[in-house]
Amino acid sequence: MRLFKSLLLSVLVLSVVSVPAVSAETRIRCASTTSTQNSGLFDYILPIFEKKTGIKVDVVGVGTGAALEIGKRGDCDVVFVHAEEFELKALKEGYFVNRYDVMYNDFIIIGPSNDLAKIKDMKSASDAFKRITETNYFFVSRGDRSGTHIKELSIWKKAGIEPKGQKWYLEVGQGMEKTQRVANEKKAYTLTDRGTWLATKDKDKLEMSIVLEGDPILFNQYGIMAVNPERHRHVKYKEAMEFVIWIISQEGQKAIADFKDKNSNQLFIPNAK
Amino acid sequence: MDSIISGFVKAFSLIFHLDKELLGIIFLSLKVSGLALIIAAAIGLPFGAIIGLRRFYGRDLIISVLNTFMGLPPVVVGLSLYLILSRSGPLGFMGLLYTPSAMATAQSILAFPIVASLCHSAIVSVDPIIKQASVTLGATPLQVTITIMKEARYGIMSGVIAAFGRVMAEVGAILIVGGNIAGYTRVMTTTIALETDKGNFELALALGIVLLAISLMINMVLHYVQKLGVRTK
Amino acid sequence: MSELGLTIKEIKKSYNGKVVLNDCSFVFDRGKTHVIIGPNGSGKSTLLRISALLEYPDEGKVIYHDDYKTFEDNVELYRRITLVFPKGGLFNITVFKNAAYGLKLRRINKGEVEKKVEDALRDVGLWEKRNQNALTLSTGEGQRLALARAMVLNPDVLFLDEPTASLDPRNTSIIEEIISNIKRRYMPTIIMVTHNMFQAQRLADSVIFVYEGQIVDGGPGNKFFENPTDERAYKFITGQMVY
Ligand SMILES: Nc1ncnc2c1ncn2[C@@H]1O[C@H](COP(=O)(O)OP(=O)(O)OP(=O)(O)O)[C@@H](O)[C@H]1O
Ligand SMILES: [Mg+2]
Repeated sequence: MRLFKSLLLSVLVLSVVSVPAVSAETRIRCASTTSTQNSGLFDYILPIFEKKTGIKVDVVGVGTGAALEIGKRGDCDVVFVHAEEFELKALKEGYFVNRYDVMYNDFIIIGPSNDLAKIKDMKSASDAFKRITETNYFFVSRGDRSGTHIKELSIWKKAGIEPKGQKWYLEVGQGMEKTQRVANEKKAYTLTDRGTWLATKDKDKLEMSIVLEGDPILFNQYGIMAVNPERHRHVKYKEAMEFVIWIISQEGQKAIADFKDKNSNQLFIPNAK
Repeated sequence: MDSIISGFVKAFSLIFHLDKELLGIIFLSLKVSGLALIIAAAIGLPFGAIIGLRRFYGRDLIISVLNTFMGLPPVVVGLSLYLILSRSGPLGFMGLLYTPSAMATAQSILAFPIVASLCHSAIVSVDPIIKQASVTLGATPLQVTITIMKEARYGIMSGVIAAFGRVMAEVGAILIVGGNIAGYTRVMTTTIALETDKGNFELALALGIVLLAISLMINMVLHYVQKLGVRTK
Repeated sequence: MSELGLTIKEIKKSYNGKVVLNDCSFVFDRGKTHVIIGPNGSGKSTLLRISALLEYPDEGKVIYHDDYKTFEDNVELYRRITLVFPKGGLFNITVFKNAAYGLKLRRINKGEVEKKVEDALRDVGLWEKRNQNALTLSTGEGQRLALARAMVLNPDVLFLDEPTASLDPRNTSIIEEIISNIKRRYMPTIIMVTHNMFQAQRLADSVIFVYEGQIVDGGPGNKFFENPTDERAYKFITGQMVY
């Protein structure tokens, strides 16, 4: 019995002692994508913003679809994603206000270093996709409704091919890095973002290289927008807008440009107007 | 093979130089799961006691449901709770989503069937003569219940500890309702998931080892408790 | 002397359709020691449990009363009666805590509890073992503890189901002596079951013979054994019964 009591007591004490000190600081919540979060961008720019304004930004990293959904439901104050078409749609539906372009990075098609499907001399991403289907190589897809996945689907659409269910089409439902690793194992092609590629190709010993880049369709625009306070009265609109304004300001844009990954590559190019 | 060994080496050096952030994460894990356990026990033990001691219509069904819910998929719990706690959900006004409280709630839902079900089986395995002995010595119905629960204490404790082990290792539900916010709702398991995603295998491994060590301790306590129970039989 | 006696009236009880007690009626006078004897499986323990209000009869009534009025079936009444089981029923806690259990339920102050428990444990020779877990006691010690646990409550009605079953002669006489002491000191109403005919003769003020769920014979202790009226009772006592 004594053991029982002391066990219970210790659990109680533990939970009471560790109840978080309710701090006076203002926090806002930003829904973003896992890939943006994993890039380390937020760890670099948010402390700068916090130091200046005293506002702490809590980042929830999920898939693009989920990030927009969280915003629509009013579970965050601001969203920072890269799915322009969907962002504009949600904006028009009145879920969000004040959308701004923030920065971009680009997608690239990568494949086995020897590039047996001969994509390297092509210019159009959709043509490249078509070529891959005509060979015996696998195409590995994120398959997770992420921004990258959505971009990939739009390219298939342009190529006029329905990849789903084809035996050469592998949907892994995982993050970008894992998807790359699967592609590497399978000697397959895949669509990735340059940031992930630069950050991981050496570390993961990928025997792959870029086979296509520079097609405008591969352009990946990031946008930021605040949750509409008229729809969700509780959101911290004022602070959210402070963040939005800062990130498109000269200072915020410089911070983005200054951010480098482990290998000193710049991952995002600021382009707020 | 090399990378596995060097991963472990780095992981251990990380453990020996635990930084503040990592400690905070470990502490939050213990806190959230501890809180969840208290809630689950506060509801689950009386619940287990009632179905263990009373005979009523629908009791068998409740027991079957409870046993099924012991294997409740965490993601399903997480998603359901998300929809309830979301600002657009029925309890949205409480603003609980993406807080440690939401995580503790999710975990207590997962722990509740384990606590209740194991409490129930511990109680039904108490010799029925104990109940009669307690009645004949003058116990009121409530005192009878307390006596039987005390007799079943080792089994009940095993249940509570087993539930703690389960929620400590859980990731699916708390990821959804906690949001894995750095310094706020980030716990061991969600950090492991995130760092694995980021490719920081050493850190993920280090935390995995800590988690395992804690599980080991929990199980040692469990084993000790069970041995105590056997020795006095 | 105990103020509480009881009357059972036309008690019927069956388990899973099998009749265990059939039409049992008896008046247990207050302050007397009633000994129930009868073959294994004849329903003695069941009769005891029903009389002690631990189980309900299917038909019939158990009525507690003194010379003037009857008592309701409630906690107050429950706390004036207690039953000692043939074996088991000890809690998985120390000897001391077992003996103190009933007193603690009654919210008696700690000093008094300690005094009463110490006296009782010394009486049954278990004071030295007070910190031992009760489940580790030997059969004889356990039986003595069960008795002490009931004794401290100073009940008006004490039910004893084979208190000396599977005990050696020495432990048997210790227990018998404790029962005699209780009788002398408080004169509770005692209703006990035993298979030991000498013990029955030594302790009984009145004897009841139960056979196949019915009370078929009975009478004052000394007379009954000399001269049982029922032939089955005679055969049972003398060990000639074949069943
Ligand atoms: N809870 C129960 N469920 C089913 N049958 C029972 C139950 N309790 C007692 N019985 C049955 O009732 C009958 C009488 O049992 P009881 O214990 O009263 O006998 P007894 O006279 O005390 O016997 P013994 O001298 O062996 O102790 C037995 O046949 C027994 O199997
Ligand atoms: Mg019996």
